[in-house]
Parts: sequence; C-alpha cells; structure tokens
Amino acid sequence: MQFDRAIQALCDAQVDFVIVGDLAGPFHGSSYATYLMEFCYARSSANMLRLVAALSPFHTRPRGIPAGLPFIWDEATLRNSTVLTLQTDLGEIDLLAEVAGIGLYEDVKRHSLTVEAFERRVPVLDLPALIRSKRAAGREKDLSIIPELESLLETGSE
Amino acid sequence: MNAVKTLRALNPEQFARAVRLLLNPPPGSRIEAAKKYGIDLTLLIEQLRLTPAQRAVKLQAATEAVEQIRGIARRRS
Repeated sequence: MQFDRAIQALCDAQVDFVIVGDLAGPFHGSSYATYLMEFCYARSSANMLRLVAALSPFHTRPRGIPAGLPFIWDEATLRNSTVLTLQTDLGEIDLLAEVAGIGLYEDVKRHSLTVEAFERRVPVLDLPALIRSKRAAGREKDLSIIPELESLLETGSE
Repeated sequence: MNAVKTLRALNPEQFARAVRLLLNPPPGSRIEAAKKYGIDLTLLIEQLRLTPAQRAVKLQAATEAVEQIRGIARRRS
C-alpha cells in the first residue's frame, strides 16, 4: 500500500480529486486504519484523461476478476462507470464519480479542506461531510466509525 | 471563488481543550456517547497530538507493517 505515491501521482498529473472514505479519516485524527484509497474525481474529459495517465504506470486493472481477462484502462472505461474498484501496484483504489450523502465532485470539493501531506497539497473531505457520507452509506462498517468521527468534531479538531 | 481552507495541527490551546474533553467527556456529549460505545479516546489524543501530515505518514507506516507481516505469514504457510 503506497498512499504517498498514489497521492503524489494524482497531484503531479494535476488531477481534480478529493480523498474520501476511510482514507480521509486519519487526516482528521481518526485512529481507524484502512488499506483502501478512495478518490472522488471530476468527470470532465480532460480530467479523466489526466487520471488515466496518472495511474497508467501502475498496472491498473479491475479488482477481483481473474488475471488475464482483457481490460483497457482508458477514458472510455472511466466514463462508462461511476464506481471503479481497482487493483494497482500501489494498492487498492476506488474511483468514485459521486459520494453518498454529498453528491458529485463539485459538491465534494465544496466540502473539502487542503492538507499538506506527502510533500503535496492534497484535498480531503471535511469532517462534517465525512460523517454525512458515512451515515448515508449506512453499512455497518461505516456506521461504526461515526462515534469516533463525531467525537473528533466535538473536540473542535477541524 | 471561495478559498479552500487548510487542515492544520491543533495549537497548544486547542489541543489542551481537546484532551480535557476526551479525558472528561461532558454528560450528554457525543464524546461521552463514543466512550460508552467503546471507542478508545486516548487513541484520539495521540492522533490529535500529530500534524495531519504526520497522521498520514503514521497510517502509511501502519499499513506497510501489516503488509510485511502478511508477507512473512504467506511465505511460512
């Protein structure tokens, strides 16, 4: 799992994205560790081309399907799917066009903060929006994190 | 266009306040509810002691350590 290289690759390619999901939590102080990188990205053609180029060097392919099946990592693949669950040399990456409870990239971006991490300035979903997205996702694993996130919000950590 | 805010480390006053709240949650607060739910609030204190960048590095180190252990286990099995 190489969060640093993945984030650096996206930043260096000037991809419009926001860190969302469990990976956003630790930036705010959550103690939950994750092995999944979740990014919400802008759906403009130019941005999707940048995103494809950024992840191309890392053998990007769908997660959970047999090796050897044909797969083309290009803008059309991105355009035809609003949720892509990927395996890469850097680790597991989910690419989301939309975040539950928040909306599309433009809405997500409005509810983001910038963090200086891994020698880059990185956009991360803010704490109230992260809590809202977890509540909207509604799975047990999402709901179980909410008490901790709400505690962080109450401490005024953001 | 609105400027995007930056997430920063807590200053000493903010950190002291957070520690007070986490060690002695006010009755009826979300923090008290989290404590009753079973959240180890001392872990949050240690996280809040760090800058956001340090938290990111800590997460990366933790996942790398787990992956190394998994690799050792796979090689032994």
